[in-house]
Amino acid sequence: MTVVAEPALGDLHTVVEEVWSTFLADGNPILPADGPSEDLHWTAAITVTGEWEAQISVILSEAAARGVGATMLAIDDEACSLADVRDALGELVNIVGGNVKSLMPGPSVLSLPLVGHGDITPTSDLTPVRRLDLAWRGEPVVVVVHVPSQGSSSTATAT
Amino acid sequence: MHALIIDDSRTMRAIIARIVTELGFETTEAENGQEALDVLEGGLVPDICLIDWNMPLMDGYTFVTRVRNEPRWRNVTLMMVTTESEHSQIVRALAAGAHEYLIKPFTPDSIVEKLELLGLAAQEIPA
Repeated sequence: MTVVAEPALGDLHTVVEEVWSTFLADGNPILPADGPSEDLHWTAAITVTGEWEAQISVILSEAAARGVGATMLAIDDEACSLADVRDALGELVNIVGGNVKSLMPGPSVLSLPLVGHGDITPTSDLTPVRRLDLAWRGEPVVVVVHVPSQGSSSTATAT
Repeated sequence: MHALIIDDSRTMRAIIARIVTELGFETTEAENGQEALDVLEGGLVPDICLIDWNMPLMDGYTFVTRVRNEPRWRNVTLMMVTTESEHSQIVRALAAGAHEYLIKPFTPDSIVEKLELLGLAAQEIPA
């Protein structure tokens, strides 16, 4: 049976802080935001299937996304292309997702990441259970974990 | 010394290349296991392969098993560098012939530590 479980919000925050401090340490820590932002333009998502099922998404503003690409590639923000942003965000959500998966019951497998300029809407049987509203360089960064709704078909399927 | 960096993310290849270049390695990059096998078939025999697990076309685990089945590549050191951190997967990769396993996110120091364990660290990263 697939396990319906949710990562603790504190654990999710710890994972994100560790990833940021390791690969995005530009002197600007990632901090809790004052509140939800609507200035969100990029979404990177990864799916976990197996004993634990979920979709983990990192959603960012244009400036934050470009900053992630530039910092990870060690180039100027202005030199960071759309392809650079897509690649960096894919790797970012891959690392965040992999580390969240490691906190949950296994075995499970990660999909390849999906990155889009806009929303990546989860399938209808997934419900958001954890959300972190954060700020980096004063720009919004949101991390969301979706899991199957209780009683949905995917949670009742033997794996 | 020569490192073959195998990861479908150009960003991650660049991060690893920066670190190992500072340690004195020459680097070659491949986007997936198949491309890395093609590099080896082309005649390059690196001292170490740094291998992601989840990649399109050929994943890192398959690459490790393919390399370990070829006697001509028996001296190539294989290190997984991946987000896959489940114990069963680490055991599986090591059983298939990987020498070391590094979980993302990693620091430059953690790469140096692993390379030292493998007898491959050429020099410390400058502060």
